[in-house]
Amino acid sequence: MAQVSLKQVSKRFGAVNAIRELSLDIRDREFFVLLGPTGAGKSTTLRCIAGLEQPEVGDVCIAEQRVNEWSAAQRDVALVFQQYSLYPNYTVRQNLAFPLKSKLRSFTSKQIEERVAKAAATVRITHLLERRTDRLSGGEMQRVSIGRAIVREPRVFLMDEPLSNLDAKLRELLRAELKGLQQRLATTLIFVTHDQVEAMTMGDRIGLMNKGMLVQVGTPHEIYNQPKNTFVASFVGTPAINMFDFHVDLATGRATDGALAFDLSPATQHTLSTLALPADGRVRIGVRPENVQLVSSGGMAGTLYGAEHHGAEIIAILQSGSHMLRATIPADSHVAVNQPLQFSFVQDKLHFFHPLTGENLRH
Amino acid sequence: MADIEIIDAEKRFGNNHVIRKLNLHIRDGEFVVLLGPSGCGKTTTLRALAGLESIDSGEIRIKGRRVDHLPPQQRDTAFVFQLYSLYPHLTSYDNIAFPLRAAGRPEAEVKKQVTDVARVLRIEHILDKRPSALAGGDLQRVTIGRALVRRPEAMLMDEPIGALDAKLREEMRAELRRLHVENGSTTVYVTHDQVEAMSMADKIGIMYDGVLQQYDSPTTVYDTPANLFVAQFVGSPIMNVVDCRCQAGAAGTEVRLAGMVDPFVLPASAAAALANHSGQDGEKALALGIRPEAIGVALGAAAGHVQAKVHLIEPLGAYDIVDIAVGDATLRARTPSQFVRAQGDPVWIKLDHARTHFFDKTSGLRLQAGS
Repeated sequence: MAQVSLKQVSKRFGAVNAIRELSLDIRDREFFVLLGPTGAGKSTTLRCIAGLEQPEVGDVCIAEQRVNEWSAAQRDVALVFQQYSLYPNYTVRQNLAFPLKSKLRSFTSKQIEERVAKAAATVRITHLLERRTDRLSGGEMQRVSIGRAIVREPRVFLMDEPLSNLDAKLRELLRAELKGLQQRLATTLIFVTHDQVEAMTMGDRIGLMNKGMLVQVGTPHEIYNQPKNTFVASFVGTPAINMFDFHVDLATGRATDGALAFDLSPATQHTLSTLALPADGRVRIGVRPENVQLVSSGGMAGTLYGAEHHGAEIIAILQSGSHMLRATIPADSHVAVNQPLQFSFVQDKLHFFHPLTGENLRH
Repeated sequence: MADIEIIDAEKRFGNNHVIRKLNLHIRDGEFVVLLGPSGCGKTTTLRALAGLESIDSGEIRIKGRRVDHLPPQQRDTAFVFQLYSLYPHLTSYDNIAFPLRAAGRPEAEVKKQVTDVARVLRIEHILDKRPSALAGGDLQRVTIGRALVRRPEAMLMDEPIGALDAKLREEMRAELRRLHVENGSTTVYVTHDQVEAMSMADKIGIMYDGVLQQYDSPTTVYDTPANLFVAQFVGSPIMNVVDCRCQAGAAGTEVRLAGMVDPFVLPASAAAALANHSGQDGEKALALGIRPEAIGVALGAAAGHVQAKVHLIEPLGAYDIVDIAVGDATLRARTPSQFVRAQGDPVWIKLDHARTHFFDKTSGLRLQAGS
């Protein structure tokens, strides 16, 4: 069992608050992703768990034991970094065996051989065992790095942007591989990334960080569909969510924002009537591109500013007054730049935020 | 007219054959993206167009005139290489005006050009601001403004937005494309990012190992890739490519992946591409290619569907990518969000035969009907 808990953890670097009063419970055998922009504090959080950084305040617990005073080796966790820290003059086999030859451990050479063979098979590098690591491709090197973490059979895997240096195609393949691997090994894995696609596709749960604080923890589905605030809503999802400040009038059932205006459906009116709306009636409405639909009549008017053909779909960029918004439309749609178009929103998928605080009014 | 032609161009760096017999015709006003992995020859091609590299043999013609022996400044076309960083002590206006003033243009003309460019880029309101006061997207617009203000007939761009963060890249793609729509100058744009290529290009030239693999519109490249390299380089999620055996059956052509008992059955029309291929008996190496969105997924047994099992679910918010085990192979399908509930669940899948491709594994070429 290896739950990982942080309780009110803070860490400063000089005047910079890298992590502020962060509390987090990661479950045993969970694939947990720490997601956020550069400088959010996610790598520092990971390093505090690994024992590479000491928090000034708060407890770091692994398997319900406080480990703040334990060394990195005593914590029995394995780290994988973006930069493959392999020994270039060694073969893959020697690199894999290396962590087992530490004086802290006492493995027989037979045990080492077995573990190396098993780890190599798990990450599919058996055919590379006798090759020197400087003769490997980027994807192979990262597999060896992961293999070297596996071979120790640690209580927790900690990975810091391990896929970031790889090309797009390889990243996509390794994403699925890594998730499958974590499930087979049934070990807790904490994965740091700034890439929301990696977070969405791999995480059992995601912890989204910003400016040293944990903004929201939830499943990918929750993070995408019930974002806590505008930061979460716009950090996750591509193309990004469209957001505009509307004036909502529940008496007339209209939402207006300069160029844009639409009638609120009865269900939307009901939803809004249950929320604590700002006194001036201004609501920041978020609508994801897949919930903007082109309609033949009765919609809001705009023109086509641009169209991106992505193969499986088209991203239409619509201009309405001074507003730009994106809509995901079917790949076989026929649209032309500067063409007048009408569009509407899928109202049960709208998000309502406070225009000043950015908080989701529903959550 | 800035029509550009590359004819039988060859380029070597020592033993490294970086451009092999390249033929490319870029028509006046086209936005062409050269796409490929690092080392494929795309940047060398761009530099050869600009005159920054010579070619060993072949010709380069701009507006019909042979230019491959001319220095860059005599090629009768202005080239923009990258979106240079801005001068921090100058306002947006002065930054954009800089190339014109450097060329000694009269101030009245400078004003008109800068104002025109600012209107197109929607940056009129920030012309008096210095770079330090601008947000990322505005900075990038000013940078583009400075590149555009000279009104080059052809623009050459080498990964101009590669260093920006994802959100900004998304915005800049739209802006660069829009700019092209408005000023219509011939553009050659180099990137390794297939999303940029798909979203901006009139035509994509995909290069690999110094060889032009395919030169077509984004939709043609996506829907009918010339070979396995193109098929897997363009599109995200990646096209599924799996080994298969094909044989004629009572209801049509039976297609089996490794370890499959019940085959996918394709109508005779869909299997026309196979007819001329000697591998139809299953002895030759064939690969089946199908994009994730062309795989139909059902939660119950259905006509024409084959039973399979959910191996992994990758949610992307707007939709899911589901890894499905069928026989010993895995196919990735695109489904609505939360359509498939859990790993290990049975599902029934079918291939959209109009979007099913076959490739010769030896040559990598896509099999075509009548070829």
